[in-house]
Amino acid sequence: MSQEKIDILQRALDREKAARKQAESILEQKAAQLYETNQRLEKSYSELEMLLTKKDSQLQGVFENIVDAYLIMDLFGNILKMNDAALRLFGFENDKVDFNLMKMVSPNDYERVANSFKELLNDGVLTNFEIKITTNDNIEKLIHINASIIYDNGIAVAAQGIIRDITKNKEAEEKLIESENRLATLILNLDSGVVLEDENRKIILTNKKFTELFNIDASPTELIGMDCKEASEQNSVLFKNPDAFLSRMREIEHKKQTVLADELEMIDGKVLERNYMPIVIDQQSKGFLWTFKDITTNISYERTLKAEKQKYYNIISNINLGLLELDLDDKILMVNKSFAAMTGYSEKELIGVKGKELLPINDDRELMAEQAKNRKKGRTDSYELRINNKKGELRHWLISGAPNYDLEGKIIGSIGVNLDITEFKNLEIQKESLLKELEKSNNDLQEYAHIVSHDLKSPLRSINALFSWLKEDNASKLDGVSIQTIDLIEKTLEKMDQLITDILDYSSVGSDDGEKIEIHTNDLLIDLVKVLYIPEHISVEIASTLPIIFGHKTKLQQLFQNLISNSVKFIDKEKGIINIAAEDQGEYYQFSVHDNGMGIEKQFHDKIFKVFHSLKKSKDSSGIGLSIVQKIVELHQGKIWLESEPGIGTTFFFTLKK
Amino acid sequence: MTNILKILLIEDDMIEIMKLNRTVSSLKLNHKIIEANNGEDALKILEKKEDLPDIILLDLNMPKINGIEFLSILKKDEVLKYIPTIILTTSSNQKDLLECYKIGIAGYVLKPLKYEEYVSKIEKLLAYWSINELKKI
Repeated sequence: MSQEKIDILQRALDREKAARKQAESILEQKAAQLYETNQRLEKSYSELEMLLTKKDSQLQGVFENIVDAYLIMDLFGNILKMNDAALRLFGFENDKVDFNLMKMVSPNDYERVANSFKELLNDGVLTNFEIKITTNDNIEKLIHINASIIYDNGIAVAAQGIIRDITKNKEAEEKLIESENRLATLILNLDSGVVLEDENRKIILTNKKFTELFNIDASPTELIGMDCKEASEQNSVLFKNPDAFLSRMREIEHKKQTVLADELEMIDGKVLERNYMPIVIDQQSKGFLWTFKDITTNISYERTLKAEKQKYYNIISNINLGLLELDLDDKILMVNKSFAAMTGYSEKELIGVKGKELLPINDDRELMAEQAKNRKKGRTDSYELRINNKKGELRHWLISGAPNYDLEGKIIGSIGVNLDITEFKNLEIQKESLLKELEKSNNDLQEYAHIVSHDLKSPLRSINALFSWLKEDNASKLDGVSIQTIDLIEKTLEKMDQLITDILDYSSVGSDDGEKIEIHTNDLLIDLVKVLYIPEHISVEIASTLPIIFGHKTKLQQLFQNLISNSVKFIDKEKGIINIAAEDQGEYYQFSVHDNGMGIEKQFHDKIFKVFHSLKKSKDSSGIGLSIVQKIVELHQGKIWLESEPGIGTTFFFTLKK
Repeated sequence: MTNILKILLIEDDMIEIMKLNRTVSSLKLNHKIIEANNGEDALKILEKKEDLPDIILLDLNMPKINGIEFLSILKKDEVLKYIPTIILTTSSNQKDLLECYKIGIAGYVLKPLKYEEYVSKIEKLLAYWSINELKKI
């Protein structure tokens, strides 16, 4: 071995030694560093441990104080731990229970639960899991679960969850949905067309009625999102005045203020009412609501109503009755044309004036005030009133007043209907004075008849006396013929006197002879027959059933007397019979006086009732008797006629009102 | 015993006056008849209070003062109202009759047509009044 080689080996050894030495010192250095790090690690570990413990106790606090139910279970569903809220939720008395949560789940849900549990295991978390359970104390609940897996060294060991009872929430939610649905249905079927649009005029909501009103061939949902501006421009042709429709729409849209009851006339005759409303909730615009309503029928109804009103207004203003409306202070609120014309004042002059102070004459003011009082008590009445018109002329009015009620039935004034009855009144006054005049003239005539009769009778008496003296004084000188002549003169005088008496009687029949009284015609006739001259060969038979009637006694006496005398006069048979009877004919009694006399030929039946018409010229027949009879019957509102057969007899019939 | 009556006849008709006079004389009665043609004359006669008639026969229809007016004047007079006044008339007017009785009359006799009846009525009338007690003057 060479030195050199040794040397080389020596040197390599040295180098090796030095390198080892250096490596050793590095190692030493590193070991020290490691130690130091180890120390540091140990320190941080203990720190960490401390932190963990701290965290754990913190968690424990959270766990106990958590408001929501919190539960830890093993991976098989057995409860490990739960807080008070969970106790309450699941219906346990304390947490020292051995309970598997699957018992609470309905068998129908097992599969769903299994699936979500798999999800929980795979993902480590499960959120928003909802399930129906039956709690330990047997109450059905809907719960909401958020859960996560607890790992130990990377191995799932348990699951924890926060459970909320959402039974009530769910109910409320369902109710809300239900009411939303209802509202939606309501809007959908609303009688008004509705469009809710957003700021950009895009449709948010609309309904069926809207599509109908504008003849849109699409469902309301299809219209959502559509541009209203474009649509309205298309739709404008549906309106009578498209430009006006559009300009008004732009105006509304620009102002963004509520517009109510715009009327739109469509070319098909429909009339729409349009409303516009910005919807603002919590100072935030939620869009704009357009509503359209078909008011065609309302409009036509309104028009009919207006026409009716106009019709009645025309009737009222042109009717020939004065109408006026008063308030509670009797101030005039309304008058019609006739009323104004009746007063002579203009409508302007009358409105606001108290009618009772303006019109009635002084004497009638009290009467009117009284009537006004009655009206306020709700009484209706009519009365006559005298007024002065504007010219100061006296007019007679017939007034009918009635209280005026409002819709609630409260008296708010009165309504008066006035009729000018001046003409009638004048006629009435005239009639009254005419009647008075007539009465006076009748009385005058009566007086006159008496005077005439007196004046005519007096000379007859004188003539009679003079002839009688002539006869007496010259009894020895007068021959038979002269005495006969004087007798004839006396008979003529008698006839004349009778005539005058009859005429006077006839003219007196109509004169007022006191009140009508009840008359027993049976008694009247019995008494009459006693005093009348009835020849012995004639018998008068009076039916026992004669009625009681209401009449003038002396006149009825005269009536029967004349008829009986008439019968007596014309009986030409050896044995005369006069029958008097009566029968009830409802409103009238029909009397009959029958005789078996010579009878009257048909052609004379009417004539015999005429004054001075005597069929048989005789000294005791003036021809007035039956005229008086007729007059008396007429005075008792009856009729007289006769049936007769010449040679056999006559029956006079007459009726007297009961 | 019968009184001899002083009768005031108020009558405007001459023949009527003759009738009464003739009747009284034909009946041979001694009554004294004083005639007045009308109411005014009669009142003049009645002014002589010392020579008043016992009864008055009064016609109603007279000129100037008529019968009823005359009767009213008479009945208002404190002295004359005691003289029985009998109406003698042809008028059977009920109104007149009632009015007369109301004012106060002693009778109402209708003049009949026949003179014989007239005589008979007057005879009875005078017979009646001649047996009556009358006011002494």
